Amino acid sequence: MTSHMSSLSAVNPAPANPMPVLLPFQLGARQRRFPTWRATLLHGCGIVGLGLVIAGTAHAQSGPGQLSAIGVIIKWFPLLMSGFLFNVLISLLSMALGTVAGLGLGLGAISHNTLLRQVAWGITQFFRNAPWLVLLFFAMFMIPFQFTIFGTTIPFPDWVKAVIGFALPVMANMSEIVRGAVKSLPSGQWEAAESLAFSRRQTMWMIILPQCVKRMIPPWMNLYTLVAMATVQASIVGVTEMLTLIAQVHAAEGGRPDLLAPLYGFAMLCFFIYCYPIELWTRRLERRFHLHQ
Amino acid sequence: MGFLMKKLLIAASLALLAGTVAASADVLDKVKEKGVLVVGVKADYKPFGFRDPSGAIVGIEPDLAADVAKRLGVKLELVPVVSANRIEFLQQGKIDLMIATTSDKPERRKVVLAVDPPYYSDAVNILLSKKVKNVTKWEDLKGKVLCGTSGAWYNKDVSTKYGAEVKAFDGSEKPLFALKGGECIGYLYDQTFVQGKLLDAEWNTDFAMPLPGVMEAPWILAVAPGEEKFAKFMTDTTIDWMKTGFIVSEEKKWGIEPTDYSKRMNEQYKKGS
Repeated sequence: MTSHMSSLSAVNPAPANPMPVLLPFQLGARQRRFPTWRATLLHGCGIVGLGLVIAGTAHAQSGPGQLSAIGVIIKWFPLLMSGFLFNVLISLLSMALGTVAGLGLGLGAISHNTLLRQVAWGITQFFRNAPWLVLLFFAMFMIPFQFTIFGTTIPFPDWVKAVIGFALPVMANMSEIVRGAVKSLPSGQWEAAESLAFSRRQTMWMIILPQCVKRMIPPWMNLYTLVAMATVQASIVGVTEMLTLIAQVHAAEGGRPDLLAPLYGFAMLCFFIYCYPIELWTRRLERRFHLHQ
Repeated sequence: MGFLMKKLLIAASLALLAGTVAASADVLDKVKEKGVLVVGVKADYKPFGFRDPSGAIVGIEPDLAADVAKRLGVKLELVPVVSANRIEFLQQGKIDLMIATTSDKPERRKVVLAVDPPYYSDAVNILLSKKVKNVTKWEDLKGKVLCGTSGAWYNKDVSTKYGAEVKAFDGSEKPLFALKGGECIGYLYDQTFVQGKLLDAEWNTDFAMPLPGVMEAPWILAVAPGEEKFAKFMTDTTIDWMKTGFIVSEEKKWGIEPTDYSKRMNEQYKKGS
């Protein structure tokens, strides 16, 4: 009961406790960490259990002279992992490209130049409200597979086109993250900077953006996990990534129906193992930054 | 704005035009100059093109592609294709040659340069339960129940011509499941698919393909439109494959029963020489 009371007071400062900012950091954090940690364990157990159940049934179904589902996954593990690394690579590169472009676009969207602001706003809204798969198709079929500039041929393989395709929505979302973070800072920061004779550019780079970074990191990491999971869409346009390989492995194993669930379950597990820690870390950062502001 | 758009459009179409001009330069010369032949093959169609655990694409069609590269004296690069992108890849020049289980259709012949004679032929056949003893020819199927895939063009033909009843299901998994459950005596489907199934222990212990294929559907290999010289080379190569029995030996190598078409072509061209 007492801890309940104190957590309430930490969230909604009562007159008895007028300065919650001065409360020890550990108190609030520890109280919130417990339920999160329990959820993690629960999730982990659930996923592992699910995997075991799927593999178990598959094992029961496989006939004589056939590899069990686990056997099949072990046999193809190196190939499937190379596919998964490719997903990671595509996600990292499109995130890098999209972040840089999105930073520029976001700063454009808060510019004092009307034309620049409107153009940046238009681009942001256009790419933010387009389905990712449509943008991917767009990049796939509009970009030629090679460019010839001054006699030298620059090849443009499918996965590079996929990187561009995914970078477009990342750019637009990043633009909104930047704009939102800048807008969320109290206007006092701008006014104080102005009174100290900082120019607009100086204020932006030396005062506003450094403060924005920690506000932008959690949503940015969230965006990354979304991109990582979206990369499997590249299989639809013919990039040989994990999901494509899963389908091909399934075919190579004779298209046994009992292998479908374990194989796709394995893909799910890989993405979960990769994305969930990022998700947890994001939440931790969110909590920390929230308390310090 | 309109002016700018127009300018952009003109620039884009010029770029496209330049691309097409470059692509229609003789591909055979380009391949020899680069020293690499790029062939589009399937990677999900056992045993015609599929992955091995190292990730390499293997099978009958990769072997055919390797033979073409050997004849040209160049290295081989395989690009995995699917039905939805193989024609585009060929038109774009991303692949030089397509050997990807492509059925011969008039609309396809309009957009790519098909190589005659067809190098292979699929047919319609039945994955028949080994328990069924009294079926040795198609006419014996009269009054029997077969499972089929709904939408397959030959379901109706088989039932009117041979008097079998065809129970149609969606896709290929459900009819196979029904077959295992004993709802029918066999699965009526593409012969190449049935052959692929019979490579696995799950199917070849209780099922077989005792009947000859009917209603042949030839497969074509193709080059980009306008590549007459390369097409001629591929025609000669195909005829040589048939003459030497290369395709029949490939079928045996990958564990499938040689098709009537391959055997017939082998006989025909052996005699012709």
